[in-house]
Amino acid sequence: MASELSEIESFLKATAPFDRLGDEELRAIVRKITVRYYRSGDEILRSGEHNDFLFVVRSGAVELRLAGDELTARLERGGCFAFPSLLRGGEVRNTTTALEDTLCYLLPADDFHALRESSQGFRDYFADSEQERIRSAVRDLKRNRSQSLEQITIGSLVPHREPVSCSPNLSIADAASLMSDRDVSTLAVCSEGRLKGIFTDKDLRNRVVAMRRSLDAPISEVMTPSPLTLPEGASLSEAMGMMAAGGFRHIPALGPTGELRAILSATDILAHLGDSAIDTGMLVSNSATAEALIAASKQIPEGFARMEAGGFHAEHTMRFTSALGEAVHRRAAQLAEAELGPPPVPYALLAFGSLARGEQLVGSDQDNGIVMDDAVDGAGREYFAALGARVSDILDDAGYVYCNGGIMAMNADQRLTVGEWQDRYSRWISDPDEDSILRATIFFDMRAVHGSAELAANLRGPVLEQAKSSPLFVSYLARDAQRSRVPLGIFRNLVLEKSADGEKVFDAKAQAILPVIDIARSLALSEGIAAVGTLERLDALADAGKMARGDAESLKDAFLLVNELRIAHQAAQVRAGIAPDNRIAPANLSPLERDYLKDAFSVVRSGLESLKRNLAGGIA
Amino acid sequence: MRERLGRWRFARGLKACTAADDEVLTRYAGAAWPSPDIPVREAPLLALDFELDGLARNAHVLQAGWIGFDSGGIALAGARSVDVRSLRQLDDSAVAVHGIGEERARQGVALQEAARSFLGDLSGRILVAHGASIERDVIRRISKAMFGSEAPVRSICTLQLERRISPNLVGSDAYRLSAARKRRNLPGYAQHDALSDALAAAELFLAQLSRLPADVRLGSLESW
Repeated sequence: MASELSEIESFLKATAPFDRLGDEELRAIVRKITVRYYRSGDEILRSGEHNDFLFVVRSGAVELRLAGDELTARLERGGCFAFPSLLRGGEVRNTTTALEDTLCYLLPADDFHALRESSQGFRDYFADSEQERIRSAVRDLKRNRSQSLEQITIGSLVPHREPVSCSPNLSIADAASLMSDRDVSTLAVCSEGRLKGIFTDKDLRNRVVAMRRSLDAPISEVMTPSPLTLPEGASLSEAMGMMAAGGFRHIPALGPTGELRAILSATDILAHLGDSAIDTGMLVSNSATAEALIAASKQIPEGFARMEAGGFHAEHTMRFTSALGEAVHRRAAQLAEAELGPPPVPYALLAFGSLARGEQLVGSDQDNGIVMDDAVDGAGREYFAALGARVSDILDDAGYVYCNGGIMAMNADQRLTVGEWQDRYSRWISDPDEDSILRATIFFDMRAVHGSAELAANLRGPVLEQAKSSPLFVSYLARDAQRSRVPLGIFRNLVLEKSADGEKVFDAKAQAILPVIDIARSLALSEGIAAVGTLERLDALADAGKMARGDAESLKDAFLLVNELRIAHQAAQVRAGIAPDNRIAPANLSPLERDYLKDAFSVVRSGLESLKRNLAGGIA
Repeated sequence: MRERLGRWRFARGLKACTAADDEVLTRYAGAAWPSPDIPVREAPLLALDFELDGLARNAHVLQAGWIGFDSGGIALAGARSVDVRSLRQLDDSAVAVHGIGEERARQGVALQEAARSFLGDLSGRILVAHGASIERDVIRRISKAMFGSEAPVRSICTLQLERRISPNLVGSDAYRLSAARKRRNLPGYAQHDALSDALAAAELFLAQLSRLPADVRLGSLESW
């Protein structure tokens, strides 16, 4: 007669990784278990001893200390421990003590290894390292996200019909007839099989009729020349990002040899997604007044929440939200120019921080500045003072609130010529101190969002050169990164830290994301890498052989995992009508998310350690 | 004095079992019984629980669950649970408690087979139960009816032990199995399943043991 150990069975069924086993497998495993009780304060395992069991906490709580000393983890009901010793043949490294009266289930090593053999899910969970575990966690997340936008190519989205095209010499009148006959709103202008430009219904209205152009003029004079294109293998999310950032509705898709294959329109994407996120981008770019821009910008958080609900990966949600933010900044500058007249000298509107890195979520304040051509005079400076003030004001109204630290184009010290900016950067780099570095790191994530890209490049190039050859500066950066309090994990409803007894709220940005950004920035600057985005910097570091590929991938995974949680948290806040922040209450995290976080923290901590070893030396 | 009397009674009971000339009882009597003078931490134990069809002295056993263990832990491989066949009209109130209906009771094993099985596992072990006197009496009665002689049972009662360890709690509810477990930070189990109750008592005993001196003598915890 079968024995019923249903209490234990149902507990394990709800506990990772046993929840990944089949019913039969689980029933057999239950019979292998030994139950043990430990009184609060009892030592369960001692560092240096030999262990032959996987331990599962059934009730109570335990504490793990490396070599009996440094706190490694606290585990409660459902927590597994001592498997690292099984994976390395039995040697215990963490002394484990019962924090409370604790009941444990013990699974013998042989059965543990047999399960790792027979069950992929079980094996993944107990992967040898956090690196592998976090990789499988990211894999799980991606698998669970339906309709991944990175997997859908634009080629698969547009019907394979020959795009309607004409030669650059065709008259406007004939081109319009052609569009009318073929019933298309977009015309591809090609010569010798190559795309030269596109011409749309809207161009006909704005550039021909409204401008009273002669209909006999060649189409090449009124088309949009050299439009941005994408290969047909590009992902949907890339196309959406490009449309949102550029404020246009059509992207030609090119085949392998650069031949025109199709023209992707926003309508094609909308038909696929039923989402109005691109519309927001269009509204932003086409806003005729500041009021219209502000209204359009207010839709961004809602679109962000919809992206989250729609299963976008963190990477795409960040990219897309940043693209919209960039469009708002650009449009704010354009509208300010329209009010104040054309700029007296070339300039660029610079974005710093998350917007520059393309990692913006919702609820960010504004971090920006202006770089002016060195030729600017006193009157010119007054123009830019007015422009900067106007841009900052519009952005504040649009939801990119004033920056507490004053990093805004409305402030005089944020409106400098190329030379003045270079001097400022130069001071940071050549004469660093703890305090200035703390406030300066954000400036090293910089990108032009409007105006002369050349001015920004003139500034950026020498900065990278100087930073690369300044080990003292880099060591200050590396040391500054060490300020982050990366937690050990989540215990009960507290954030467990090495030094403190735990906070009630986990700041996902400050305690996990910023350190990864810091690591990537410090190393990228030390190598003269121009990339600004954290993922791009980590890739570039691995490509250049400056970081082990596996380490770079792990940091990227940790970065994405925590951002997934941040995005879900903020989307829920937006839906609830609460101002989005980064403060996640542990009570809202599932056991699985806690496991993921624990691994992510571990990866980030070892990244910081390695940064400290490699770069932070030289200053006490 | 009480213990000495109990030890003498147990020895006499074993002798009677040997004399009964029944295979089960002979093996039971011949088992290696631990001396009451060893530390309880070295003693082989067996948590056992019966679900009965009523509260009367002649109540029938519907289900028996048991599991061997010692102070080092409870190996679940040794867990046993049997439904016992009963042809008697079930007492409705008991059915409501155990959820074991007549249908299931009819499909169980014969009482004799069940008794053979748990007496075998109890050989040489000290019975542990919450309110152990019930289990003890039922075993004696069944043994007499099935095999011709009462099997003497050595037992530790976790209820009595709890009264000893936490003497000043208010109300008898505080000493119930679930309340005592909660005090020791043990998980809540569904009650009135024989094996689950046996396991619950075994875990509680381990928790109680952790509050007692390391060298506490087996005989000092037994109910004589």
